[in-house]
Amino acid sequence: MEIIEWLQFLLGSALLVLGLLIFLIQMVGVFRFKYVLNRMHAAAMGDTLGIGCCLLGLIVMSGFSFTSLKLLLVIIFLWFSSPVSSHLIARLEVTIDEEKEQHYKQQEITADGAVVTRVPRAREDEDGTVF
Amino acid sequence: MENRIPVLEQAYEVVFVTALVILAIFLMLSLIRAIIGPRVADRIVAINMMGTQTLAIIAILAVMKHEGYLVDICLIYAMTSFLAVIVLSKVYMGVYRQRKEERAGQEKQKEECGYGNH
Repeated sequence: MEIIEWLQFLLGSALLVLGLLIFLIQMVGVFRFKYVLNRMHAAAMGDTLGIGCCLLGLIVMSGFSFTSLKLLLVIIFLWFSSPVSSHLIARLEVTIDEEKEQHYKQQEITADGAVVTRVPRAREDEDGTVF
Repeated sequence: MENRIPVLEQAYEVVFVTALVILAIFLMLSLIRAIIGPRVADRIVAINMMGTQTLAIIAILAVMKHEGYLVDICLIYAMTSFLAVIVLSKVYMGVYRQRKEERAGQEKQKEECGYGNH
């Protein structure tokens, strides 16, 4: 019986540490990216995968009980809620942004079929390399 | 989760306390992000992140102290922070539209005044 408890502890803490590592990657990404829509990409990772790994580790640690069922419910709720909130924040940013051409590349097809590309002003001088 | 092995009990304690300290540091970092974030969406993203990390802290405390009811609080907190993000983004969109309309109205008024003077 003792070895099962040790295995439970090792697996649980490995998953917990993995979740914390993903939180660390999230923080690094949030501080290094330059624009909100890029930052959101890093932030959404911790919302689903990071907390998912943490709660999965806690489920393994607490064993087969009612607590672990409720933790599973939290994970499932986050799976549904995180994409919705990310979508709403992205829509808010696109709506209230008044200088879009400074932030990201835009392409537009005119009536006569030509493609017009607008590159962010700060990166105009770089030769063809657009992010 | 009842441990009769004292070494295992201590190991659990160390892992939980370390995880809590690291999560507290991350919470402070996301608060800094919320303060320096240049745009409104930046701050809302940071608030969302803080909610997620608080969720992890509450869940860890629930398992650490063997208190099952803390997980219920965790679930309620998830719902509340989700609602907060939705309400904040909707409110800011409404505020932006209102300001835009006001600006358009002011410009119209200015134009009308200009024509009146001539």
